[in-house]
Amino acid sequence: MLRADPELASMFVAEALDHLGTIEASILKLESSPRDAQLLNDIFRPFHTIKGNAGALGVGRVQQLAHTVETLLDHCRSGRLTPGPHEIDAVLKAVDLLTTMIQDIGPRLGGGEGRDVWPASLVLMDAIQALSAAAASPGGEPRGTDPHQERPTQAPALPEEPRRRAEDQPGHHAVRVDTRKLDTLIDMVGELVVAQSILYGHPAWQAALDERAARQLAQLRRITGDLQRTAMSMRMVPIRSTFQKMARLVRDLGKQAGKQVELVFSGGETELDRKVVEEITDPLMHMIRNSLDHGIERPEERMRAGKPPTGRVELTASHEAGNIAITVADDGRGLQLARILEKAVERGLVPEGASLTPQEIHQLIFKPGFSTAVEVTAISGRGVGMDVVRRNIESLRGRVDISSTPGEGTRFQIKLPLTLAIVEGLLVAAGDQRYVVPTFAVRESLRPAPGDVHHVQGAPRMIRVRDSLLPLVRLSDLFGIGASGLSPAEMTAVVIEDDGRRLALLVDRLLGKQEVVVKSLGSAFRHVRGVAGGAILGDGLVGLILDAGGVMDLTDERGPEYGGRPSPQRRAAA
Amino acid sequence: MMQQPDGARGGGRLEALPGKYLAFTLGNEEYALPVLRVREIIRMMEITAVPQVPRYIRGVINLRGKVIPVADLRARFDLDEQAYTERTAIIVAELAQADGVPLLMGVVVDAVSEVLNIGGKDLEETPQFGAGVKTDGIVGMAKSRGRVTMILDIDRVFGGDVAENGRSAVA
Repeated sequence: MLRADPELASMFVAEALDHLGTIEASILKLESSPRDAQLLNDIFRPFHTIKGNAGALGVGRVQQLAHTVETLLDHCRSGRLTPGPHEIDAVLKAVDLLTTMIQDIGPRLGGGEGRDVWPASLVLMDAIQALSAAAASPGGEPRGTDPHQERPTQAPALPEEPRRRAEDQPGHHAVRVDTRKLDTLIDMVGELVVAQSILYGHPAWQAALDERAARQLAQLRRITGDLQRTAMSMRMVPIRSTFQKMARLVRDLGKQAGKQVELVFSGGETELDRKVVEEITDPLMHMIRNSLDHGIERPEERMRAGKPPTGRVELTASHEAGNIAITVADDGRGLQLARILEKAVERGLVPEGASLTPQEIHQLIFKPGFSTAVEVTAISGRGVGMDVVRRNIESLRGRVDISSTPGEGTRFQIKLPLTLAIVEGLLVAAGDQRYVVPTFAVRESLRPAPGDVHHVQGAPRMIRVRDSLLPLVRLSDLFGIGASGLSPAEMTAVVIEDDGRRLALLVDRLLGKQEVVVKSLGSAFRHVRGVAGGAILGDGLVGLILDAGGVMDLTDERGPEYGGRPSPQRRAAA
Repeated sequence: MMQQPDGARGGGRLEALPGKYLAFTLGNEEYALPVLRVREIIRMMEITAVPQVPRYIRGVINLRGKVIPVADLRARFDLDEQAYTERTAIIVAELAQADGVPLLMGVVVDAVSEVLNIGGKDLEETPQFGAGVKTDGIVGMAKSRGRVTMILDIDRVFGGDVAENGRSAVA
């Protein structure tokens, strides 16, 4: 039946995978509260749904496996069986196999091959049936493996999670929408805003409008603004589900390595652009692998160091001035400075005998070539170097940094833009071009007083702003466009800041503040530094959006005589 | 000044060439692109400059909400620069990419001529010329309407990944 109806098939797949995600999160919570009736129901119900849908649509194998698990879960929720480690492992394994089977439905329908997990499924079903049989035998006490024995890793308590999910609240409904439709909608709303602002700004209109018409137009503007805000908010999703994926990872990795690890997270309700959420999953996983592999020590070692045997990994997310801040912190042994330095020398990244500050050594792990296949352990497995992680995050217009205290732990700090789609910016003119400087990077703007401008070899290179001396750079110079020939005192200096560094950018004049839709410039311009993307301005033309960090890197590269700073200060660790 | 084209790249390619082409001019020379690779033709418009790119990449424009790069074919072929006229046009072409999603790119040309139906009998190999070649991407010559039209492989003219061109040219 699925063969005849691809849309039905993809709906089934999407919903089933959704359910499996919920199930997995609930099972991990179940590990610490095996008798929680609500949780047991939260796990039973979706299995029942998957079984039912699969049966109706003729997906026999999925139905069979789901049914076997459903029977086991029914014993649990009726109190005949208390789920212990064996039951939990079995159900998690079933989730994995079902996920594989369901993910393969699409490819198989398209004529391709799927992964053969049926033999493994048969084995699992036998095991589950054995567990169910033990429960079904008459007798007073609920059976099941003792949940208090052998509990090497604990699933996380999720303190901030409300008992009833938002979706269960009365009156709150959700619909599934094809993301392409959503993107199209958002693009069209963006165009509507631009078209409207061109119209609104047209001198012929302004002259012809009487008071009533002007009010109507203002109303139209308001509605369009609301429409745009709503469209944008549809792209935002909470980071919670990404964090929940990590729980499973921590549990599995911890077990594999014989380490006891507790994962704690907060700020799950923090919302990000859907795309960012998708792309941040892999980097977060790599960082967590890192923590578990190199950071958290085995229980014996921890106890010798006076720490509790269970290590702790903390994931937090919060909003911070136009950005989202995510941290991954562990209380493990911290970055081993001597070993890192040794490895870096081995790999030729650092000359022998060089003396580096702890911050500089920390930065070494981000260098390409630092971790190679040789050092990849059984856990890191498919691990990639931290350089790839950093690049991935930077491609999302984010930053990642690391700080560590030997013996106490390591912390990764990630900063990401709230949404890749919209940015509030200061529109500036330089030469015959216009640029957008994101307001979150702007500290202030001022007219340089001649006495505050310091020259080097005849050219204005530094400016005094209150007590600091900042590099002064002409934007037209930096980007190689025709200068306007104005002197600094006739121009405006915009002080930008990024990651603790500051710079004063000289522009011809300020043109106003604007919220602009960010458009990627595309793969052709990926290498361009100092530019974060393009903005469609009110008149339909493109204005480049500046990337403060990139602007400063560019300036530094040109050397101190251009106002740049000597290299060790660049990108100092937090 | 006639730019010397690259040497022929294997006779087999000529067989794949017959079809419909959009012909356009740069000065006195006529070139053509397969219509399948032409998304649309638009009038010349103001281009926003982008730094750190080779001279022939003029910058970006807004194409109904999408920001696309624009290249100047005269500059790419090292021809003398000429002022834009009201016949100057931007051909929005599709470049093939590794991931299968075509990259849209605007190409500035002096004027767009017409759509040609080029048959096998009209086609000839590009003659072998000496070294010092600048124009990659001319894959054949067509004789039609009493003149010669040079058939371009747009992917070769601008490189499969325009970013590669950008980096190497700037370095």
